[in-house]
Amino acid sequence: MTAVQERAEQDGSGQDGVRQVVVTGVGFALPGVDEPGDVERGRDAAADAVDPAAHLGKKGLRYKDHATRLALVAAKDALVRSGLWDETNGLAVDPRDVAVLASSNLGNLDSVAEVAALIGREGGTRLVSPIATPNLSSNVVCADIAIRFGLRGPNMMVCNGATSGLDALRWAATWLRSGRARHALVVGVEPDNDVSRAFAGGQVLDGAVAVVVERDDSTAGRTVLGELGPVTRSGRLDQSVTAAGGTDDASRVWLVPEGDGMSSVVLPEAERVDVSRGWGRTSGAHGLLQIAVGTARLATGTSSVVATCGGPADDAIASVVLRAPRSEPCQA
Amino acid sequence: MSKRWAIAGVGALSSVGRTAEEMFDNLCAGRTGLRTLRGFTAEWYTAQHLHEIDDLDAYPDVEGRATRFLLDAIGQALADAGMPQDLAGVPVLIGTGLRELRSVELWARGQTKPDERRLHFGTALRERFGADDTHTFSNACSASLYALSLAVDLLDSGEHDTVVVAGTDSITESMFGVLDRLQSVPPERLRPFDVNRKGTILGEGASAIVLRREPAESGRVRGWLRGVAINCDAFHATAPEPGSIAEVIRSAHSAAAVRPDQVDLVLLHGTGTMANDTGEATAMAEVFGTEVKHPVMTAMKSMTGHTSGASGLHSLIMALTSIAQDRVSPTLHLEDQIPVAADFRIATREHLGEGPVVAQVNGFGFGGVNAVAIVEGTR
Repeated sequence: MTAVQERAEQDGSGQDGVRQVVVTGVGFALPGVDEPGDVERGRDAAADAVDPAAHLGKKGLRYKDHATRLALVAAKDALVRSGLWDETNGLAVDPRDVAVLASSNLGNLDSVAEVAALIGREGGTRLVSPIATPNLSSNVVCADIAIRFGLRGPNMMVCNGATSGLDALRWAATWLRSGRARHALVVGVEPDNDVSRAFAGGQVLDGAVAVVVERDDSTAGRTVLGELGPVTRSGRLDQSVTAAGGTDDASRVWLVPEGDGMSSVVLPEAERVDVSRGWGRTSGAHGLLQIAVGTARLATGTSSVVATCGGPADDAIASVVLRAPRSEPCQA
Repeated sequence: MSKRWAIAGVGALSSVGRTAEEMFDNLCAGRTGLRTLRGFTAEWYTAQHLHEIDDLDAYPDVEGRATRFLLDAIGQALADAGMPQDLAGVPVLIGTGLRELRSVELWARGQTKPDERRLHFGTALRERFGADDTHTFSNACSASLYALSLAVDLLDSGEHDTVVVAGTDSITESMFGVLDRLQSVPPERLRPFDVNRKGTILGEGASAIVLRREPAESGRVRGWLRGVAINCDAFHATAPEPGSIAEVIRSAHSAAAVRPDQVDLVLLHGTGTMANDTGEATAMAEVFGTEVKHPVMTAMKSMTGHTSGASGLHSLIMALTSIAQDRVSPTLHLEDQIPVAADFRIATREHLGEGPVVAQVNGFGFGGVNAVAIVEGTR
């Protein structure tokens, strides 16, 4: 089936009668970023590094890897802003209904590389700390978010290259539509350290961004920031954007793949925005950073934004359209 | 009957065989894949044995083994399903515990160049099969069953009529090293559900199935998937939570519309660790109640080792083969069942003539990610 047919089928039939997947919150662990509108300014050299303990308290952070700490900060921020969580009462919904997905490519590379290098240097495992065990499995970030906030729905770590962030959103939407979850917390994180920097060939984002998506029948009055279309994936840029509905209406803003290396221009009229600009390598966090920036653009009057991840050198290209929320239907 | 999805083809490899058939025959014959370790420098470790894949040309240490295993398993599954080796537009969902982290380790030791595009499997799948809808889920030891649940959702939504689901892992030195440190007296054998079990031993391999909404025109199927359930303990980074496991087993039964007394065969997760086997047995006993004596059970990791992300689908494929051939492979080295599993009918030798039809497949992972699938076989 082509991506175009896929879209047609998606429009025609939603499982469980679900019409829309909506964004109800975004959160950050990025220096100098408080609001989605701050991301496009890039890294503020004067801003303090994110201090996880200041956001979460020191308890339980000691043995967490850097990516996990950043992800926890962004996760909490998004949960609070969406209205799903407050300090006094905790979670506002059934914990079994909340899925968690995290996207990262460079996430636990530091833990893995350090243990392997240590064993090689020492000629044995004597100095390897058993405390490091969970950090050697790439899903540590995702599992720790669930543990911290008691979120018992499906829990999955997506490590899928350049498109990973948007792919994670696609699977969140899949779970929402199939009824395996009503709410989903999707977190993108890429840590900056010697290992990730050397592996990725440059400075890394060193931050996290989290997005809360919900079924539109499960928002219980929480403010809708945007409506998410289908995430499509294709080997071709034009096909990916078209299938996502990116060319349907005059989208004025195109959130382009990391590095904006595309030669082909499928949305010639659109303003091109690379959200990684001024941040370094965004990798698995790129797609979620795009959604966060997208909500800021919608809030200032843009009717829809197109986000695209991955380029010709990657295994595929993923796209999605984020539209401004429709005005609430009049209910008696 | 509830909905069911056709399993049109299967492919697998591990330390006990290079194809699903060879694996099953060796498992039934009680041939373990445990051998003297060769991928790593033996003198650095207390443990001296692993369930490695016998790809002699690859030792010592080459990058991309998990990818190679995966391509092999998917190629087998496509051939088995009578499909061309072309996956353009077909979703390929891959569960893995450790993706290409072994390649990262070799880079960290200065032996290879970094390749960000090969940390996940999509790049190789595009090169080999023209696949462009590929997804690498790094979800510990239940990863391939988690991927299976998403495949069901995709078929159910009407978005696709065919999905390839796979699992793959090669052993990383960091995971082996930390286990070696944790298990200061290394287990000589992996002994699931035995009171004297000493822990797990790592294995490697890959598994793949072609899942379809309807059988292909030929009508030939390997079996049927009746339902998959997934959840998360949200409890502990490494220790399982029996209550949550019981919940996911019940959800799987409900999704498949089966009762415990209708489950004939159970492929246990059975890693041989204190925590898993006790937690899994507690949950099984709770859900099955008096019916726990009904199904015959087995834990194949006693011979394959812990194949991590590949293990869920490994078990699923072996379950289908068991039903097709009416043979259940034994759980090796089980002499004294742990008290909580005392009533379980775990096969310690090959069982013939049980006539199983419906099988349950368990998969649980680090971080409390649980997945259970129910399949129905054909004979």
